[in-house]
Amino acid sequence: MNDGPLIVQSDKTLLLEVDHEDAAACRKAIAPFAELERSPEHVHTYRLTPLGLWNARAAGHDAEQVVDTLLTYSRYAVPHALLVDVAETMARYGRLRLEKHPVHGLVLASSDRPVLEEVLRAKKVAGMLGERLDPDTVAVHPSERGNLKQALLKLGWPAEDFAGYVDGEAHAIDLDPEGWSLRPYQAEAVDSFWHGGSGVVVLPCGAGKTLVGAAAMAQARATTLILVTNTVSARQWKDELVRRTSLTADEIGEYSGTSKEIRPVTIATYQVLTTRRKGVYPHLELLDARDWGLIVYDEVHLLPAPIFRMTADLQARRRLGLTATLVREDGREGDVFSLIGPKRYDAPWKDIEAQGWIAPADCVEVRVSLPESERLVYATAEPDERYRLAACTHHKVDVVRSLVEQHGDAPTLVIGQYLDQLDELATALDAPVISGDTKVAERQRLFDAFRSGEIRRLVVSKVANFSIDLPSAEVAIQVSGSYGSRQEEAQRLGRLLRPGRDGKVARFYTVVARDTVDADFAAHRQRFLAEQGYAYRIVDAADLG
Amino acid sequence: MATGHRSLADQLRSWSDERLARLLHDRPDLATPAPSDSAQLASRAATRSSVLRTLDLLTRLELSVLDALVVVGPTSREALLGIVHADPAEVGAALDRLVDLALAWEAETGLRPLTGVVEALAGSPGTSGLRPSSAEPAPPETIAAAVEALSEPARALLLHVLDQGGEARTEARTHVSVADARTPAEELLARRLLTPRGGGTVVLPGEVGLVLRGGRTTTTPIDPRPTLLTSERDQALVDRGAAGAAHEALHHVEVLLEEWGVRPPSVLRGGGLAVRDLKGAAQLLQTDPVAAAFWVELAYAAGLLGHGLGPEGDLAWLPTTAVDAWIEESPAHRWRTLVSGWLVSNRVPGQVGRRDGAGKAWNALTSELTAPHQAETRRMVLDELAALPEGTTLAAATGPASLVERLAWLRPRRPRGRTDQIGWALAEGERLGVLGLGGASTPLRLLLDGETDAAVEALAAALPEPVDHVLLQADLTAVAPGPLEPTVARRVQLLADVESRGSATVYRFGASSVRRGLDAGWTPAEIHAFLASVSRTPVPQPLTYLVDDAARTFGTVRVGHAESFLRADDETALTELLHHPRAASLGLRRLAPTVLISTTPVDVLLQRLRELGAAPVVEAPDGTVHIARPEPLRSRTRETTPVAAARGAARETARITAVIAGLRAGDRALPVRPPATAVDPRGRSTPSATLTALREAIESGTSVVIGVIGDDGLPTDRTVEPMSVEGGRLTALDPRTETLRAFAVHRIVSVRPAGDAP
Repeated sequence: MNDGPLIVQSDKTLLLEVDHEDAAACRKAIAPFAELERSPEHVHTYRLTPLGLWNARAAGHDAEQVVDTLLTYSRYAVPHALLVDVAETMARYGRLRLEKHPVHGLVLASSDRPVLEEVLRAKKVAGMLGERLDPDTVAVHPSERGNLKQALLKLGWPAEDFAGYVDGEAHAIDLDPEGWSLRPYQAEAVDSFWHGGSGVVVLPCGAGKTLVGAAAMAQARATTLILVTNTVSARQWKDELVRRTSLTADEIGEYSGTSKEIRPVTIATYQVLTTRRKGVYPHLELLDARDWGLIVYDEVHLLPAPIFRMTADLQARRRLGLTATLVREDGREGDVFSLIGPKRYDAPWKDIEAQGWIAPADCVEVRVSLPESERLVYATAEPDERYRLAACTHHKVDVVRSLVEQHGDAPTLVIGQYLDQLDELATALDAPVISGDTKVAERQRLFDAFRSGEIRRLVVSKVANFSIDLPSAEVAIQVSGSYGSRQEEAQRLGRLLRPGRDGKVARFYTVVARDTVDADFAAHRQRFLAEQGYAYRIVDAADLG
Repeated sequence: MATGHRSLADQLRSWSDERLARLLHDRPDLATPAPSDSAQLASRAATRSSVLRTLDLLTRLELSVLDALVVVGPTSREALLGIVHADPAEVGAALDRLVDLALAWEAETGLRPLTGVVEALAGSPGTSGLRPSSAEPAPPETIAAAVEALSEPARALLLHVLDQGGEARTEARTHVSVADARTPAEELLARRLLTPRGGGTVVLPGEVGLVLRGGRTTTTPIDPRPTLLTSERDQALVDRGAAGAAHEALHHVEVLLEEWGVRPPSVLRGGGLAVRDLKGAAQLLQTDPVAAAFWVELAYAAGLLGHGLGPEGDLAWLPTTAVDAWIEESPAHRWRTLVSGWLVSNRVPGQVGRRDGAGKAWNALTSELTAPHQAETRRMVLDELAALPEGTTLAAATGPASLVERLAWLRPRRPRGRTDQIGWALAEGERLGVLGLGGASTPLRLLLDGETDAAVEALAAALPEPVDHVLLQADLTAVAPGPLEPTVARRVQLLADVESRGSATVYRFGASSVRRGLDAGWTPAEIHAFLASVSRTPVPQPLTYLVDDAARTFGTVRVGHAESFLRADDETALTELLHHPRAASLGLRRLAPTVLISTTPVDVLLQRLRELGAAPVVEAPDGTVHIARPEPLRSRTRETTPVAAARGAARETARITAVIAGLRAGDRALPVRPPATAVDPRGRSTPSATLTALREAIESGTSVVIGVIGDDGLPTDRTVEPMSVEGGRLTALDPRTETLRAFAVHRIVSVRPAGDAP
């Protein structure tokens, strides 16, 4: 019997015992093809999925390597059916290729005629293909490059895209490494991306995804369109680019609800692109406004559906997706794979934390009991009212106040969902509120003040979930959230994990009402944290002292 | 031949007990029911059905030797060795086996086949296609000269007839001289190379065929048995792969039985399992329906699945009572039970989903889902693979085809569906873990050698070691990094839900699963203590909190039994009822000032309350439902499971010994009985004695006097030469008229040798 660190289950999960001496080597070996599903303290769970295996194929691994890795590290015999399945799944990728034909332009070519025949008969691809040029080649309407890839993935025959990219309009961009340099993993991520052409780089919050974007731009040396989640985030990108690259503020345009500048480097928000007036998207022409050489998608896991549709038309341009997690609450991971590209780089959160690039965190769930009167109201409330009732109990205010006092002067964020509650908290804590209603300038001012230490406490709504760097925050207290959203939890924790002072331990509190849906949602989110390897405790409000 | 016998019965009588035992073992149909003496045994051995059954067991070489014997007629051993195109030593061995199987015997005229063989063998696969020789064959030199003298068209025709099975129809005149011959056919008839058979049929006699084929029955050698195409693999790797599969197999069957014990699928009206239920099983086992059909059938073959009454009172597929004992055994023992059932099962799950002749898809567990020789073919496949040296496996791509060829040589008469059957045997063997990477695993080799205990040990050594601990994690999961010891597994499974199974098991704790533990009578302190003892790692704080939290809310709502309730706004009325002297038998209990419950059913209670002077009304039912955790259901274990049959080898030997002892006793009693006639009080022989005597006469080619009841109801004696007995009719030659006549066997009342006085 082998004494490996890995146990291969027949349901296609891989269990990795972390305390095993070969665990690190094994992790490295399986990372290219297995998706890390959860990483609690002792046993990490990876899963083999078709997407994961195809990602591996795209990165140049073959089935033999995968099987060999499994056999090498597996403690017990590997289920035969699983090995067969791995080989079969991986063999499906690349049977079809999108290529550039000197005469006919874009073509779909196949080395396996039956597969091509099967695909040609599928209803889903009807209308995307042109005439049959020879038994193994079919013309493709250039505009359908993205849609075709999407459809082929759904059919289970993902195509490899060799049709190449346009260079775009050249524009000189260089990194400006003064007093800083790319971290090794960032450089590696850029290399992997550039080598693969298009694709997604997965890095945890606070690991410097913006710099990966900047480095990719320096690599492309072409006009770039950057798509971000919101305006604040757009400003941060701009600041960061001005600071870290040779770009000047004049070369960077912001395309948002407030200003519509188109410059060699343009930062646009998802919101403005997806604004619809009378059934049309008026800002869509932005995508064709310049001959972009690179398109950067920030927070790919939040990419809204209309952007996917638009992206389908941008397949000739290099695309870089940045995200902390490939998990999408809507399950559209396959669209990311086929339209943005395969995963090109992935570094697990904990590893980067262990290297000291992001701060460790201590998560605590504080449970408050609803008083008798509120319990009765809660018990008789309509189901859709219940969460709000439970989440906004007044008892939470007291608990938050005592938590804040416990941490004295430590920079503290209080995060919530409901404005009434936030206002109540702000009054109780004597702290400013940032919500969706707050003007961008005001938001900017408050965030700056928080960063510089002028303000020690800040009450924020979900506007602060994404892409806002508050590296000085040491304590976050969450009082309510979007039900049980896992990626929201990741983002909020991410606010805290920006590298700060040496030895800083971030504290993340969640205040929940006992015996209510609030606690159920919290359990869902906490499970996510525990799966990410964060130790967490549950304490009763009464025991806070 | 000096050692010749008068009849097959005589020869059998001269055999040792061991030799007889071997015969009865190889031809089990001869021993059931036990024959009374050797004559009856010999008679039974000559019946068409028994002969056909035995021919099926012969290899190509053995068939060829038998065929040669049929072609040349009674002959010496040496002569026979000369005409079979194979290594004489092998031919000799084959001949010995034929004699051992009583398909051929040593008559006074030489070795000869059993009479029934000639007919049974005609046109069979694996034979030469030559006809039996004529009664008085011309010497080979004469035939060779005649062939030599043939015209070209006649020679071509002769070869054509030979290739077409030695028989043809012609309009030619049968009695012509060579000079008169007008057509090639007439030329052949004139030269006596074809023999007329009447009705325009001509036959190419065996001796001519032999000459045409150069003195042998076949032109190509028949002894090289096809070799298996193999590749070299480390036996350790084979064993490891097989053990992994064995582990999976156990897991699959366990999961299936566990699920079906609670939610059994119904039995279709025509027996079998619905396609939908099979798909459900496939989903449960995370596999495809083809594999799922195998697991279902495997459980059935091992006697672990049967039908019984399901939860709704309908007929359902349920785990049998044997499961409860099986599940307690060690994994290797459990595996052995599965394999034993599989080895002797004729069921063909590989057929599931395919369509039968009527275009209807086969369902799993249908009683007709069998193939007569599946167990035998499977066993041969396994024997062939186990006969390969350790570390030699069937070549991945070309191996199965070579195996098919080899089996076709070993059993030429079993061609139907063989390729499928062999494919199924290989695939099933891989799934079950008796084969690994196309090679026989060590446990299988031991099992086939009859060393069951050693096989179990070998498998136990290859299976993952059981572990006695789990790793508890903050995400409320517990991982058992290997198969958990059953006692620990059961307790963990009570407290947590299984999330992923395989070599390791992942459990998840939740409020509901912890509550299940509390339901089963655990106290929170016990749960804490158990978790601490079973975990290699510290118990995470959230888990401790979860247990306490579940305990806090446990039992706040209480549930009890009541047949009926009484409600009244008037508290005193209820108090009065409660304390009424005659109300004691109603089982009343007060739950609240205005509510009583009773253990008496509503209809009775209503009556009694009225007797007590109350005026109750019945409330409409408000639809409260009581859901209890269903007990796993079980059906009766089938009385004779295939497993039981497999264990009966020793019993079988004992039975054969008893049969032989009976035979000997019957033979000893022979001199005091009239030969070959058991006579009833009216002087008539019993039907079985009649048949025996007739078969013996056929075998020895002697005349007998039979007493036949005529239409007038009176017996008349006739002297005949019996030719065959089939389907209740005796075909015999009447020597006076030289014609064939048929007699109904039930009209024959006596048989005695022609020389004897009546």
